[in-house]
Amino acid sequence: MSFILLLEQIFNGLQFGVTLFLIAAGLTLILGIMDFVFLAHGAQVMIGAYAAASLTALTGHFYLGILLAIPITFASGYLLEYLLIRHLYRRNHMDQVLATFGLILFFNELIRIGFGPAALFSSLPPSLSGFVNILPDTPYPLFRLLVIAVGLACALGIHLLVSRTRMGAMVRAGANNETMTAALGVNIRVLRRLVFAAGACLAGVAGMMLGPLTAVEPGMGEPLLILSLVVIIIGGIGSVRGAFIAAILIGIVDTMGRVLLPVILRSFMGQAAADGAGPALASMMVYILMSLVLVIRPTGLFPPKG
Amino acid sequence: MGVFSILRDGLARNRLLGLILAGFALFPVLSGIMDEPFWNDLAMRIMLLGMAAMGLNLVLGYGGMVSFGHAAFVGIGAYCVGISQFYGFDNGWAHIAISLAACGLLGLVIGFLSLRTTGIYFIMITLAFAQMLYFLFVSLETYGGDDGMSIDRADFMPIDLWDPLRLYYLIWAGLVIVSLLLMVIVRSRFGVVLEAIRGNESRVEAMGLVPLHFKITGYVISAMICGLAGALFASWQEYVSPDIMHWSRSGELMIIIILGGIGTMAGPLIGAVAFLLLEEWLPELMHLVAPAYAENWMIIFGPVLIGVVLFARGGLVGLLARIGGRRS
Repeated sequence: MSFILLLEQIFNGLQFGVTLFLIAAGLTLILGIMDFVFLAHGAQVMIGAYAAASLTALTGHFYLGILLAIPITFASGYLLEYLLIRHLYRRNHMDQVLATFGLILFFNELIRIGFGPAALFSSLPPSLSGFVNILPDTPYPLFRLLVIAVGLACALGIHLLVSRTRMGAMVRAGANNETMTAALGVNIRVLRRLVFAAGACLAGVAGMMLGPLTAVEPGMGEPLLILSLVVIIIGGIGSVRGAFIAAILIGIVDTMGRVLLPVILRSFMGQAAADGAGPALASMMVYILMSLVLVIRPTGLFPPKG
Repeated sequence: MGVFSILRDGLARNRLLGLILAGFALFPVLSGIMDEPFWNDLAMRIMLLGMAAMGLNLVLGYGGMVSFGHAAFVGIGAYCVGISQFYGFDNGWAHIAISLAACGLLGLVIGFLSLRTTGIYFIMITLAFAQMLYFLFVSLETYGGDDGMSIDRADFMPIDLWDPLRLYYLIWAGLVIVSLLLMVIVRSRFGVVLEAIRGNESRVEAMGLVPLHFKITGYVISAMICGLAGALFASWQEYVSPDIMHWSRSGELMIIIILGGIGTMAGPLIGAVAFLLLEEWLPELMHLVAPAYAENWMIIFGPVLIGVVLFARGGLVGLLARIGGRRS
């Protein structure tokens, strides 16, 4: 295992981590502030990916496609909250699970009807498909680097928004004590809708950035939903800072595990057995990590105060 | 109260459950008259899923512990049969005993580690353990890995299962035993304490009881019921793969319970009937109405589930109770 390969994998892990963070950031607020179990957040990732891929194909411009897709994801979150979700806040968690599970089935099928069951592959514009030397003689895909940059910029933006602005103070107050916040004159209903739409938008952006890297297909959001739930739990529900740290951690552990474990296993078992067991064990590592965290700290690394 | 009076009392209180069980007992007569042997197959699947859901309902509905990993116990139960056969061990009764022991032990360990957490954290840690087991079986090439392993119909001496109808009644008998067992448990002191813990854990503690002991015991019993369902599932499907433990299967069990009615005796079984019948009939219905979209029946199924949440509080059992109440 060379140093360069290791560095490359750390970058890949970082890239996957920031993508997970974009999905988890909105979800942790939805779970934390609204106490709402929203399983269809993965569908928002899918909607973002499909919107970007189809608009790019339609307009012929990658950037224009992304630019047009962002408002669509925001609108989809806003509408979903207005049409259905707001009627479910007062219900118990189990009702929310059933309803949002129904939403997953609906959205996946809607996409399947609209775009067909096969995966869409979107190609990158020439300006983004090159390589950059991150160290002398160490080329790394430009687009992945861009994903890391966008992810970190979004993380900084969310941090500033939540901790420095009036809006963010309202969101934090809402997370702490919703009734008291409403009594102070904050329109909690509008606040919820905006948080929901912003969360959908961030998840959509994650989908847009995953599009050129993976297959865009119906049901692509659910594995990501499960992983971002893991991120939220490790970080502490409702904590954006916790979600960021946990997302980077999970991204790197997952990526490194996939590369390193088969190599390590190969040193003391047969090649075939190691190649069979390696990926599965790597997938287990994320969950082992989460249960270790929860056994030691039952409310995650950064439980919100209050 | 003695066990028999509890049973009599339980059957009187759960006429709906008794009715469904009687329906399943008589069902093969109907499918025999209609000459549709496939119907029995579907009914067996409904009973097996219903049994697993009833097991989960003990912790989810009565105990208020939302376990998102119970498909793992169903899977372990099924794999116990497959692995026993792999080593040339063929007795079906022994398979069931092994499944029960393995799931009980596993339930004890997972319950002990998970029940320190509550709420959404508990949901996620049970999911984590189920995922670990899922990936463990994906990686075990000896037992088929991703592809799974085929299973011969086990030897349930003195019952010879060559006739599928005998397997049907074996599963039915399992379902009846589980139902009676749950009736007794829910009405017992243990069951009352379990429900009290769901209501207010600190008050139960203040009464001098240790909630954790009751929760773990409930978790183990529920895991064992799912193990039984899994062991019978293996005989029915004659095949087991890690897919049976996938997280979406755990989700399916939860959906079935919520659809039928959480924390009710008949809910999980009614939920299983509704879930699998919708799965079976919606494609055919779509085929009649809009043939081009017959494969896209989930576009209807999803909104139906949302509709149940919005308009049928308490699931189908709640809906049935309201209809019954209006009539009388």
